[in-house]
Formats: sequence, structure tokens, C-alpha cells
Amino acid sequence: MAGMTVIVRTIARLLFPFTFLFGVYIVLHGHLTPGGGFPGGVIIASSVVMLFLAYGIERAQKKVSLLHAEVLESVGGLAIVVLGLFGLLFGTFFLQNVFPLGELGQLFSAGNLPLLYLGVGIKVAAGILLIFYAMLFAFRGGEE
Amino acid sequence: MDFNYVIAMLLVALGLYCLLLKRNLIKIIIGLAVLTDGIHLFLISLGYRAGGTAAIVSGEMFLDLPGFAAHAVDPIPQALVLTSIVINICILALALSLAIYAYRHYKTLNPSKMRRLRG
Amino acid sequence: MGLEPLIQNALLVFLFVLCVIAIELKDLLYSVIVLAGASITLAVVFLMLQAPDIAITQAAVGAGVATVLFVIAISRTRRQE
Repeated sequence: MAGMTVIVRTIARLLFPFTFLFGVYIVLHGHLTPGGGFPGGVIIASSVVMLFLAYGIERAQKKVSLLHAEVLESVGGLAIVVLGLFGLLFGTFFLQNVFPLGELGQLFSAGNLPLLYLGVGIKVAAGILLIFYAMLFAFRGGEE
Repeated sequence: MDFNYVIAMLLVALGLYCLLLKRNLIKIIIGLAVLTDGIHLFLISLGYRAGGTAAIVSGEMFLDLPGFAAHAVDPIPQALVLTSIVINICILALALSLAIYAYRHYKTLNPSKMRRLRG
Repeated sequence: MGLEPLIQNALLVFLFVLCVIAIELKDLLYSVIVLAGASITLAVVFLMLQAPDIAITQAAVGAGVATVLFVIAISRTRRQE
């Protein structure tokens, strides 16, 4: 898939940091405001995909390659499991909260919920990127 | 409020019509998306109450939880729909991949022409 | 009360019309773009029904990822129905 015209490239380059930052905001404020791990991860993945579509695969792949996405997805999944085991080791049951609760309405509060949302966000962003890669590269090297 | 249910049922009927009568795999998947949109609209309308507020507790609402619960909309259909959206996007990706493979194999997107067996 | 149910009903009619157009268009790429517009309209309706969580998710998924997946699938197959 080749790149697009210079107008699309410029707009995508200007818009990419804001979209990415909005996704990170949605993930980090998942326990306070609407949103959470899944919508934030999808927004982050959409920003990267927008860069792909504007610049073409070959140039954008230097930023996030297939291997990076696979490693990130595993890291997100492992973070959730490790948080669950924390609850099992230091508490009584899986995913029990062992961190300080903090004050209501603050960013650093609610125990392990923000960390869980962070893990879910990383996993969802990498997973959507992997779906994108899989559909784009499924037929490279075949006929045609 | 009744108008919401009418539109939801019309969307489901439209999606079913597209699933049953269209002769193009991509168009059939678009019909699947429309059908799912109708179901989501129905469920969210089911949990709404007139003049309700969103079911998100913040700030001093925490001091008056029964008063908050008397005004909030029902959050359980919203959680259901959130899960349904996630499943829907996975189904779309899988169905589109299958459509691409079918096109590579049969050189057509028409499901009624995909009867012959090849290799 | 007053204006809000009127706007909501108008948005619902607009949503239905967009879905009919998306299904009946012959060009699949146009059809997918109209479907993304219908998804955004549905997100606004969700916001008016006091479900901001669903609205954010529907806007991100319906107009972002689903459209990209459809466009990739159309670029791998044929565009006309």
C-alpha cells in the first residue's frame, strides 16, 4: 500500500500526536471518566494506523514493526496476570486490591484499577495493530 | 421514547434483509454491522429513563448515593453493549478475512457462484 | 424538555436513512464511508441517551477500526458490487 498525497501526509503528521495523547488520556483516566482500557487502546491503534495509511507501510514500519506489536501484546497480557498474582500472594484471592486506595477523584487512586486499565490498553492497542498487520500482509508472497 | 424502539427494529429488519437478499460478501458484512447497530440501540434505549443522568459517580454525588441511584440510568445494558461492541469488531475482522480468502480462491464475491470445488 | 426529543428523533431518522443508503449503494467504498457516518450518528444518539462510555467506544471502533478494516478488504477484492 503506497502513501498518499502531501496534504494527507501533513494532516496526519500534525494530527498524530494529539490523537495518541487523547488515547493515553482515555486509558489513564479510565477509573474517573467515561472510557477505559478498550476505547483508549483502540484510539491509540487508530492513530498509528492513520500514520500507516498516510505514509505507506514501508516507511511507517520502522516506527512500530510486527515484532514490536507482538511483544507489546504479550507485555499487556502479562501485566494483568502479574497484578492478579499480586492479589493472590499478598491478599486472599486473584486480582484482589493490595495497593493503597488513595483519595476519591484523584488520578493516583483506586488501588490497582489504573494499572489494570494500563495493561488492557497496551494489549488492545497492540492487538488491533496485529489484526491490521494480519489483514494487510496475509497475501504477500502468494499469487498476484 | 417509543420511536427509539421503532428505529431499532427497522435497523434489525434492514440488516436481515441485507443478509438474506444481497449477493455480495462485503455487502453482507455491512448488513451484519447494521444489524448489530440496531441491537445496540435497542439495548441502550431499554436502560434509559426520562430525565436520567449518566451512571458515573464523581465528587459530591458520593455523599448521596440513594438520591443518585434514583436518577441514574441503568448501567447494566451499557456494560452488555460494551462487550457486544468488542465482539462485533472481532467478528467483522474474521468475516472480512474469510471474504478476502474466498475472493482469492473463487475470483468472485458472489456467494451463489461459489459452488464449484477447486483444488 | 422541548427541543431535545425532537433532535434525538431527527438523528434517529438520519441514522436510518444513512443505513439504507449504505446498503443500497453500488460502490462498496462509498457504502463503507456512509456506514462510518451512520456509526458517528449512533454515537451521538448514545450520548443523548446518557451512555457516554458506549459513545466513546462506538465512535472509536465504528468510525476508526471498522472503516479501516473494510477499506483494506475492499482494496484486496473488487470495489464494485
